[in-house]
Amino acid sequence: MRITVALALVALLVSCQNDEREPPTSEFSVFEVPAHFPDPVYDFDGNPITEEGFNLGRKLFYDKRLSRGSQVSCGSCHAQVHAFADHAVPLSVGVDGREGKRNSPGLYNLAWTEAFMWDGGINHIEVMPIAPITDSAEMDIALADLLDYLQNETEYPQEFGEAFGSTEISTSNLLKALAQFQGAIVSDGSRYDQYIKGLYIPTEAQLRGMALFEANCSGCHGGILQTDFSYRNNGLDADFTDLGRGRVTQNSADNGKFRVPSLRNVALTNPYMHDGRFFTLEQVLDHYSEGIVESGTLDPALTNGIPLTENEKEDIIEFLYTLSDFELLGDLRFSEPAK
Amino acid sequence: MTIKTIKLAAMAITIAFLSSCSDDDDKTDSNPAPEAKGNMFIKFQHVWGPAQADFNLNTALVHPGSGEELQFTKLRYYISNIQLQNANGDTWIEEESYHIVDAENMAGEEVQLNLSDVSSGSYTGISYMIGVDSLRNVSGVQEGALDPAENMFWSWNTGYIFIKAEGQSNASPNGSFTYHLGGFEEPFAANSSMFHDFQGATLEISPNDNPSVHLIVNPARFWHGGFSTEQTPMVHMPGEMASDLASNFAGSFVFDHIHN
Repeated sequence: MRITVALALVALLVSCQNDEREPPTSEFSVFEVPAHFPDPVYDFDGNPITEEGFNLGRKLFYDKRLSRGSQVSCGSCHAQVHAFADHAVPLSVGVDGREGKRNSPGLYNLAWTEAFMWDGGINHIEVMPIAPITDSAEMDIALADLLDYLQNETEYPQEFGEAFGSTEISTSNLLKALAQFQGAIVSDGSRYDQYIKGLYIPTEAQLRGMALFEANCSGCHGGILQTDFSYRNNGLDADFTDLGRGRVTQNSADNGKFRVPSLRNVALTNPYMHDGRFFTLEQVLDHYSEGIVESGTLDPALTNGIPLTENEKEDIIEFLYTLSDFELLGDLRFSEPAK
Repeated sequence: MTIKTIKLAAMAITIAFLSSCSDDDDKTDSNPAPEAKGNMFIKFQHVWGPAQADFNLNTALVHPGSGEELQFTKLRYYISNIQLQNANGDTWIEEESYHIVDAENMAGEEVQLNLSDVSSGSYTGISYMIGVDSLRNVSGVQEGALDPAENMFWSWNTGYIFIKAEGQSNASPNGSFTYHLGGFEEPFAANSSMFHDFQGATLEISPNDNPSVHLIVNPARFWHGGFSTEQTPMVHMPGEMASDLASNFAGSFVFDHIHN
């Protein structure tokens, strides 16, 4: 009886099958919206996460063959041990030892991010990797050349076939695989998250720091992700060697403005600012307290700086430490796959 | 598991598969006879200046206004959102309507776009966009003509380069001109919505013919209104200059004739 059923099913399956392979539809849960997070910006409905697609994206992320001469991978400058920021260097180094212009940010909660890069010039998570792949100071390879290489010199055609139903590697499927992997990286395992869920009792210093942070910093670093996603001039320079947001909008009123970053994992992602000029959180708080530089586009909230005592700075830093997500650092789903 | 439950399960699964298999048949059966469709071409004829002289890549041209000696090495632009209007006010809309016109592909002076599955009928006008609509500039990775590997896409300030015009100029400070024109946001949007009435002629689409709409494009118009490669050798980001140059170029597109 069982054999009969099995045979009947096989016959039906065969009769239904088309010549073209269908993309996988297996249930694979790697991305979940934390209950205390807002709705994500990126809609995975248009790029459903599958085990094959996610693992393909993960492999691509860590594969140096995505750069000219197989020199660097995405993971070279976005290391899991640093919450997917670079290894504590101000500026990242791409092919041939070339140095980039801005500090590599940590990669997490990208599904909640509307615009990418320090100037917000990139408007969608799927097209985000094009800049580092093609930039001459980063991976320095033209998309068409990369697709050609992956198609002809690697094992990837079969893996793209398993993930997307076509062994012909397209820009679209390359970027969708990377979006499945990078978009699925969620950081919600910090002590701060535990505190919100009632599972962690902060220390006295952390509680004082939290109150100080709410009073002094949350105007820009507000909400569960500690950012209002705006662009602001936080008083670093009187003259701007890097126009920041102004280069994107072509509006001089935006010169010297940069993205307000999420402060999740901030203690793990030093150095700080768009050019990585501050190596420690102490230096950052000293800047806001005593180091604000006047300029035409300085944020009005910082005109007088944010005066803090040394004890207050220490307490705020104690709070910032609670934003570190050590679960993320050890999450094997996002780590470099074994070769 | 008893034999009975296995039987029931097998029946249920069988029914599920049968019904999923037969869905397509049902659809085919209930569909009306497919409407008649035809093929057509849009031919972009490139000419130079008011005299409508020959335009070719890698060929010396003198700009009629500025007198600058120019030589184009590249001219590529997006044509999107093509629609045909008939006399009743009905419209045929091309699906996934994104094309690149590349002067590299000129045969004679013309580059042609092939449109298939056009609904049969008599059409009296055509509308399209030079550039790419704002929606596709913000919707993630796209395919076909919109594939970023076409090199008509800015990676650092994401959005499509609607028009690329490059070449040499004797008057340019660096000996060349490079216009990468795009930008989908006001006030400097560089995409242009076009409409041409066929001026009494009709485009007759039927399954048996390959009619064509002939448009004339005049790249000398980039420098209309006092622009020159001496003053403006390079534009490579959205902004007022990109918008002005793109608008100048769009102003050169005119309807010439229908060939049925």
